[in-house]
Amino acid sequence: MTVKLDGTKAELLSEEPMVIKNLKTWYHMHTYGGWGKFFQGLKQGKLLGTRCTNPDCQEHRIFIPPRVDCVDCWAKTEWVEVPAVGTVYTFSQVTYPGELFRAKPPVPLISVEIEGVCTKLMSYMKEGQPEFGMKVKAVFETENPTNTILDLAWVPA
Amino acid sequence: MIRFGPGNLRIPEFQKPVFAVAGGLTDFRKRYPEKNSCELTMDAMRMAVEENNLKVSPEEFRRKVNWCVYSQFADHFGDQLLAAAKIHDYLGFDPLGNIEVKTGGATGGSSVLSACQAVASGYADCVPVVGWERMDEVTTKVGNSYIASAACKDFESELGWMYAAYYALMAKRYQLENEVPHETLAKIAVKNREYARHTPFSQNPGKYTVEDILKNEMVSDPLTFLECCVMSVGAAVLILCDEKVAYELSDNPVQITACCGGTHTLRTADRRHMPILLLPNETEETYKNYFSGDRQDWPGFSSFLAARMAAYLAYHMAGIKDPVKDLDILETHDAFTISDIQTYEDIGLRPYGHGREFIESGEAFFEGALPTNLSGGLIGSMHAVGATGIFQLVEVLWQLQNKWGQFHEPEGLWTRYGKTKPDDFRNLQVEGAKRGCAISHAGTGSHVTCTIMEKV
Repeated sequence: MTVKLDGTKAELLSEEPMVIKNLKTWYHMHTYGGWGKFFQGLKQGKLLGTRCTNPDCQEHRIFIPPRVDCVDCWAKTEWVEVPAVGTVYTFSQVTYPGELFRAKPPVPLISVEIEGVCTKLMSYMKEGQPEFGMKVKAVFETENPTNTILDLAWVPA
Repeated sequence: MIRFGPGNLRIPEFQKPVFAVAGGLTDFRKRYPEKNSCELTMDAMRMAVEENNLKVSPEEFRRKVNWCVYSQFADHFGDQLLAAAKIHDYLGFDPLGNIEVKTGGATGGSSVLSACQAVASGYADCVPVVGWERMDEVTTKVGNSYIASAACKDFESELGWMYAAYYALMAKRYQLENEVPHETLAKIAVKNREYARHTPFSQNPGKYTVEDILKNEMVSDPLTFLECCVMSVGAAVLILCDEKVAYELSDNPVQITACCGGTHTLRTADRRHMPILLLPNETEETYKNYFSGDRQDWPGFSSFLAARMAAYLAYHMAGIKDPVKDLDILETHDAFTISDIQTYEDIGLRPYGHGREFIESGEAFFEGALPTNLSGGLIGSMHAVGATGIFQLVEVLWQLQNKWGQFHEPEGLWTRYGKTKPDDFRNLQVEGAKRGCAISHAGTGSHVTCTIMEKV
């Protein structure tokens, strides 16, 4: 039996020292699991969070990012729709993003404080320049969703 | 809110004392195509065993080893699963047992912690800790997105695919709450790049002014390129033993009196307010007026609970009452200038809100009260992630053994790495250094270890 190679090769990048190029062209799935409801919500223009259902739990505030299971007592949580308004807790402007970023820099990043929510969600401003304490409202990528956290953005309220 | 239960703050104990006897490094480079990862770890291992005045040959040393710990941050970068098995074989340690440790940027510190646990429990008595990272096989932009895979991929990575941006959000908030001048942050970058000029191992040494740093291009406001750590290729090795083997190998082993870890949420977003965990040099009084104005949260975005937790355990374990007084040398994980200031507070060099004073007072500099990052740190010398926490402890070990000169001064070392020693070379040995500390740090503070080493 004779083995025939398929004709593809690893491109030679440098002879000395010898370095070759390996191509990666496949996709990698990403499983949202129980958190998928949050991303589905964004596509429908809704901001969803979770709240612990255990009356004896020490934490009754809402989590966004959501948790299907309570971090403090491990009880199941319930989904709640959260008013899509908040204030800018902190911000930056990213001018040099990494390879996979889906927007052209510079992009203003923000962390948002929302009343009744115990987390400070990381997000970005679609329009305007952020300032500390600025009131902002959520806008949703319902027309052409990316199916990622980028479907949620904020504009001055 | 995190409420500690009675078991949560138990101070760790070593059942047997743990010693470090030798360390080895490669030089660190942006690209290192001349050597593969196996060869780099061999170079670091050879330096550890052959150039640290050990009383054994490499062959005799190999016959003493009974457990190995491997430290590599990202299989993404290495593009070789089970790389530790390949390196373990290359170094000639088969069929001994080993373990590979992964805790992001703190992988080096956690690997040393794992080796300490092996020695302290009696499971092993001679353990090399071998760390490396090769970050030169993808473009810098792809490298940054690989690193950002160590942020939450569901809710955060997509927002820039850039860790510096996640730190920049913390930096802005820190600046709002604490009014730290950008000049003070820039001084850290100037300092560490200056010390990097005096070590043959460093990747990004240079003479810079505060002005140079401030005028530098932004990565993510307020962090400039010169305020961010390097991306490196290289390796580091630290050898840990119990007391008996330590003295068979070396005449001046250094004791590891504490090595402890803490964690906090991967997403900065999820850090809920809680009472400040007090260090031995703090009381309720220290923070009587802390929460006012814009400062309503702890740890919030200004502090790292993981670092506070690691320092709390390590200081109690090693009997540190006041770190600036009790320590003689410190290596911090200066991934970004801002995180260095935050860390000064988390580890009690200054109370929360006063971190800037540690730089402004001159204490952090050579011949100051607690010289910090004389190695050049992550900004000046290296961040080959899996090697970083080990590199820090190797530098601390050599300082405590009074061997800094031996590993930084000889012309031969500079020419080994194709470098020229600067004309104004300075000997950065801290005279009489007795106790040192290194902080290894991951994520935006997801894992932190604090290791204390003491001259015996």
